[in-house]
Amino acid sequence: MRNSIAIIVAILILITSFLAFTNTPIFVRGYSAVKSGFSETIGPMLKLMAKPMDLVSSVFDSYANLVGAKKENAELKKKLDSLLLENQKISDLERENRRLRTLLNFVEKNPKSVIGARVVGEDLKNWYKCIIIDKGSASNIKEKMPVITPRGIVGQAVEVDRWHAKVMVINDTNSSVDVSAEGKDTRGLLEGTGQEVLKLKYVLKNDDIEIGDKLLTSGKDGIYPKGLPAGIVITVNRNKPGIFADIDIMPFSNFKHLEEVLVIKR
Amino acid sequence: MKVAIYTFLGLLLLLAESSLLSFIPVEIFKPDLGVPLVIYTTLFLGPQAGIIATLFIGFMQEGLSAAPHGSILFVKIAIFLIATFLKKKLYIDSKFSFAFVCSGFVVLESLLYITLSLLAKGETRNALNILFYTIPNAVFTGFIGIFIFSFIEYLNVRYLDRE
Repeated sequence: MRNSIAIIVAILILITSFLAFTNTPIFVRGYSAVKSGFSETIGPMLKLMAKPMDLVSSVFDSYANLVGAKKENAELKKKLDSLLLENQKISDLERENRRLRTLLNFVEKNPKSVIGARVVGEDLKNWYKCIIIDKGSASNIKEKMPVITPRGIVGQAVEVDRWHAKVMVINDTNSSVDVSAEGKDTRGLLEGTGQEVLKLKYVLKNDDIEIGDKLLTSGKDGIYPKGLPAGIVITVNRNKPGIFADIDIMPFSNFKHLEEVLVIKR
Repeated sequence: MKVAIYTFLGLLLLLAESSLLSFIPVEIFKPDLGVPLVIYTTLFLGPQAGIIATLFIGFMQEGLSAAPHGSILFVKIAIFLIATFLKKKLYIDSKFSFAFVCSGFVVLESLLYITLSLLAKGETRNALNILFYTIPNAVFTGFIGIFIFSFIEYLNVRYLDRE
C-alpha cells in the first residue's frame, strides 16, 4: 500500500515537472517558487563550500611547483620548500592584485554601472554551460544582465535568486550574441556549441572576414552593450555548400578559470 | 533516518561537485552524483525512501544547473519509477554491479532527456552535445558509484543498522 502511494506521488510529480518544462503558466509559477526557495537555501551553503576551493587550488599550484623544486634541490628540500611556498603565496597575491586592479580600473571607468561578483560554482551537468556567482537579487542583479570580465563577455544572468545567480556562458548551446568584426561591417550571430570553440553564423561567403579578426558585440541583441570583446576568428571555411561561411571563434575568456566577473546593470 | 543521511550525503556531494570540482579544467569529468544515491535508496530502502531522495536530489541538481524548469526532476523521477519497476530484475551483489547499473541509468537519463526535449519543445540543438557527454558521464558515474556504494555500506556496517 505504502509503495503504491510512493509510486502515485512519483507519477504526480512527473506530470507536474513535465508541465513546468512545457511552460504551462500555472505550473511554471508554482514550480519556480518552490525551486527558488530551494535555491535560496543552498546558496549560502554553496558560498561556504566555495571557500575551501581557494585553498585547494592554491595547494594544487603549490604542489606543482614543489615537485619541480624537489628535483632540482634535493639537499635543500626543507628550506626550499618553505621558501617556495612563501614565494608561491607572494606570486599568488601579486596575480590576484593585478587581476583585481584591472577589474578596479574597469569599474572606475564605468562607475555605478557594474557589480563585481565572485564565481562560486558551475553547472552540475556538462549539457549546459553555466557558472554560479555569489551575488543575487539582494545585490540588484536581474535576469538578462550581461556578465563580463575585462577580457571580454562571459554570458548573461538567466536565473537569479536572493543570494546567487546563474550565468549562461556564451558557449552554451542556447546562447547567441549579435557581434560584428572590429573595423569591418561584417555582422553575425555568435552561437555556443557546448564546446570551447564557438560558431559565427549567418556570415555570407563574400563578407569581409579573415582569421585573426576580433569580434565585438554590436549592441543590437538588446542584452550586451556595444563594443565589448567577444572572441577572435580562428578558422574561416568558405568551401562548404550553402551561402554562409563556416567560421570558428575562440572566446577571449577561459570560462573554466573564472574567479571574478562583472555584472553590467541595465 | 537512513534516507535523511543519504540525502544529506547527496547534498554535500553535489555542492562539492559544483564548487570544488570547478577548478578541474576537464569538462568531460562531470559524473552525475545524484544517480547512485537515487538508485541506492530506491533499490535498498524502498520506494518511499526513494521518492524522498529523488525529489530532494532532483531539486538540488536543478538548483545548481541552468537546465530548464522541471527537466532534471522529470528524468530523475522517471529513473526512480524505472528502478522501482525493475527492482526484482536488477541483481546487485557487489559495488561493481552497482556501478554497472548506475552507468546504465546515466545512459538512460541522457536518452530520456533528449526524448523529452524533442517531444515537448522540439529542441534538437543540445541533443548532440548531450550525446557527446553520455558515455564519459556514464563511465565516470559508474566509477564514482563504486566509492559511493562502498562508503554507504561502510556507514551501514559501522553506524547504521543494515536492513
